Amino acid sequence: MERTPALFEKIEDYLAGSLSKEEAIAFEEEMALNASLSEEVEKHRMMHEVLMDRDTLDFKNKLKQISKQIKEEDKLMVKKKTPVFFFKIAASIVCLLGAGSVLWYSMNTEKQTQDLYGAYYAPFPVEDNTRGESSDEVQGIISHYTKGIYDSVVFALEKYPSLRKQEPLSLYLGNSYLNTNQEEKAILEFKSVDNKKYHEVAQWYLSLAYLKLNKTTKVEELLIEIIGYDGTYKNRATELLKMLEEQ
Amino acid sequence: MNTIEDQKILKGIAEGDEVVITTFYKKNMPYIRRYIVKNSGAEVDVEDVFQDALVFLYQKIKEGSIELHSSLSTYFYGVCKNIWRNRLRKNMKMVVTEDVLDETEVIDPEVIREITKKEQEHVYRKHFLNLTDTCKQVLNLLFQGNSMKEIADQTGYSEGYTRKKKFECKQHLLEMIEKDPMYRELKETIEKK
Repeated sequence: MERTPALFEKIEDYLAGSLSKEEAIAFEEEMALNASLSEEVEKHRMMHEVLMDRDTLDFKNKLKQISKQIKEEDKLMVKKKTPVFFFKIAASIVCLLGAGSVLWYSMNTEKQTQDLYGAYYAPFPVEDNTRGESSDEVQGIISHYTKGIYDSVVFALEKYPSLRKQEPLSLYLGNSYLNTNQEEKAILEFKSVDNKKYHEVAQWYLSLAYLKLNKTTKVEELLIEIIGYDGTYKNRATELLKMLEEQ
Repeated sequence: MNTIEDQKILKGIAEGDEVVITTFYKKNMPYIRRYIVKNSGAEVDVEDVFQDALVFLYQKIKEGSIELHSSLSTYFYGVCKNIWRNRLRKNMKMVVTEDVLDETEVIDPEVIREITKKEQEHVYRKHFLNLTDTCKQVLNLLFQGNSMKEIADQTGYSEGYTRKKKFECKQHLLEMIEKDPMYRELKETIEKK
């Protein structure tokens, strides 16, 4: 339906009750016959009802400002901390003067990477449409996956290779590998996903598998690809990339 | 468990007291962040859920319909969790980890229904606040029931320009709302019913 100034004014007059009785009846008849007009009127009604509440709008606006202020304070704190942080690293290197210090630094970086993995990894959720259908084997696998019995999922899907080719079962298997410390297998599994629908999610978990292995260059390449894909994982990928760059 | 401290916070929120709200924000945000990030959410989701829950709380206080059977923070976590669960369900991201917030929140089913009902309102408010100042000014005056002439008088624009601006701003707002994935999901849910 084309939106025009005349249409908006008619809707506004109708909602304000300023149409004549005949005009209002004619408009209601038109709405009864035209679902998109009726839908448009509902959107305007909702817009007017919600946005006429200035108190709530002002409160929401205040929250936005407070959140912005808190973020700015946090940034300042980080800036203040950063020189000290680097000074500590430099001082440690100077003091230890040797391989031990390098080892300490790399272990520290690895710990930070593992912390990031812990913060960003969550098992790929079971999709609703896989719950109700298919065989007992598949139901059993899904049930074990949901309960976090990942070694059983690995066992079952390795036993039935034909099942693992089906997405999202391959994603459940990849996630189960990640949860049983079999990252290399997880990487192969996520790489094998060639269904377009699951491409982005497979890339996301692939990046996390590399993150778990502390292969940050690979992670960054994948995150840039995910951001470019502009889908569900864009925000998470942007944040994670930022965190990695700040490390 | 409704302590004097909780009463002070509720009063501060109702009055829009920035110190009270900022303190509440800083104290409770880490818990909500942990819960949402653990359950497939991103930082942007954390912010949205936290603020929408606070708006919900604000409206309940203003209506005088808030009933606390536990501490305020327990109630608030319950509201946040229910908002996030609703959004996850609509996104089909079903696995929810329950062990992150250690307290158990029991939220009245009626309150849960209200939370769901208010989801659309959050979308309208969020996008309205992202409009330009001119658009917000013109539409604010319109929603308060002013005529085009009254809006023109108050803003100093000509009546013709005001009319044009009002149409453009409303059209832009509707387009932003319609593009919002949350709005589309809510619409599909309503249509399925």
